[in-house]
Amino acid sequence: MEKRAIWKGYINFGNVNVPVNLYAAIKERRIQFHLLHKRDHVRLRQQMVCVFEKKPVPREEQSKGFEVEEGKYIIVDPSEFEQSAFKDNRVIEIHEFIKTEQVDPLFLGRVFHLGPDVNLKGYSALALALKEMDVAGICTWSMRKRHYLGALHASGKMLRLHMLRYADEVIPVKSLDLSEMPLAEKEVKIGIDLINQLTVPFEPQTFENDHQKRLQNLIDKKVHGEKIAILRPKRVKPTAPGKLLWALEASLKKIA
Amino acid sequence: MKARDPVKVSSKSSPVMGKGVSSRGIWSGTLSFSLVAIPVHLVKAVEPGRVSFRMLHRKDYSPLKTRMFCPEEETIVPPDEIVRGYEIAHDSYILITDEELESVTPERSRTIEIIEFIDAKEIDPIYYDHPYYLVPSKGGEKAYCLLAEAMRQTHRAGLAKFVLSEREHLVVVKSTEGALAVITLHYGEEILPKESISAKEEVEDEEKNHIKKKIRKMMTDFDPEKYADERRKKILTILKSKVKEQAPVEAPEIEEEGRTGPADLVATLRESMRKVKKKR
Repeated sequence: MEKRAIWKGYINFGNVNVPVNLYAAIKERRIQFHLLHKRDHVRLRQQMVCVFEKKPVPREEQSKGFEVEEGKYIIVDPSEFEQSAFKDNRVIEIHEFIKTEQVDPLFLGRVFHLGPDVNLKGYSALALALKEMDVAGICTWSMRKRHYLGALHASGKMLRLHMLRYADEVIPVKSLDLSEMPLAEKEVKIGIDLINQLTVPFEPQTFENDHQKRLQNLIDKKVHGEKIAILRPKRVKPTAPGKLLWALEASLKKIA
Repeated sequence: MKARDPVKVSSKSSPVMGKGVSSRGIWSGTLSFSLVAIPVHLVKAVEPGRVSFRMLHRKDYSPLKTRMFCPEEETIVPPDEIVRGYEIAHDSYILITDEELESVTPERSRTIEIIEFIDAKEIDPIYYDHPYYLVPSKGGEKAYCLLAEAMRQTHRAGLAKFVLSEREHLVVVKSTEGALAVITLHYGEEILPKESISAKEEVEDEEKNHIKKKIRKMMTDFDPEKYADERRKKILTILKSKVKEQAPVEAPEIEEEGRTGPADLVATLRESMRKVKKKR
């Protein structure tokens, strides 16, 4: 199967320069639904709407504004920002290297495979170096008029590029307003024992998306005019706070 | 500019999210492992472009929002008039209700059941898809803290399957700074094979060692704040010159629920500027 590159560029740092091709790494397979108008089953589409007039607004009447204070905007032309701030020179520029484990998965966005273009030796040497040192390169690049932050990893003998979210796009845990609860040492210990007992190796390939098949089944039944049995969702009764220790101990006993 | 009649903006929730969409989150239900069950809410963990620009109507500078629109009647369609359809032929649909969807796997639509734990380090990052946070509902606070603490100490993550609207997700439940994060995973079948490299190509030690030397010189700690600051700094520079040229425009007053605009972005930008300077 021949794959088409999405984009071509160069990985650059110091005097290291490695040309690469970018390929899709993920293809989602899912049953597609559409949103319809209840009355006439006309397929709906998304539309930018003026909040004030409650009317659809065509593209030529849309502007971009930067909110300086509530309800006050500076009108900007986004192209100004692109020209002055970012240059599109096909370079994936690595600014620094970090230990791979330091990247919290909350920051990871879309992922791409990188394939070698021309300089295969340099490509393989870079992949091997990253792998042996267990490091990732933090990089920036511009693609299709947008600027991205990313992490360059090794995956086997290949390179992989993960887009990274900016820090202000990840909602801080602090804003969740979680209250800290006092935990007894014994409770934590039993919790840890329980987790240890239930730990297995990670084997993602053993998980199948059987839900898709069941959903397709349901659709087929409906197409043939069969009635669908409505099953109530299973609800689990929450463990009462006073029963936590009991539930933990009972769980351990059940496994043993 | 004076506001005319205030306009009520309908909330964003659509029937597609299914029942149980609470005011606090995307989903509510139970997180369970073995015999322990914790009532929880699922909330957003990421928000793209929080420091960003807003689309405005050129005519009145009112903000724009995305709404569902009926092209035939040319009207904006409120959430209670939207149904879900599966296309069986061109422009011919069968309707699927939320209840029918939940009936596909009734055991997994209201429960995130951790079936096993794994070493968090074993997860190849290519599997990570979309992150959320879990927050405890009333009465679940203690068990929530206990699970977060026990997973933190053991560096383990829980594996579960659960259904969110139209999809069943394989997810990991992770401990992060005292909170529980849920990250959906791609199924193995969704990961495209990478191009293979011919084994003939031998890596020359000299070249590899040269690269390693360069890498060592550029090693540092991961600090995501730094990159966000750099971007803000660039934006701020341009905006400063803009402010001199033009006065800000004002949007009409709009009665709106749950406004989430940046409260005082300039102050935020200033604050981050200050931090950037201090670090030097």
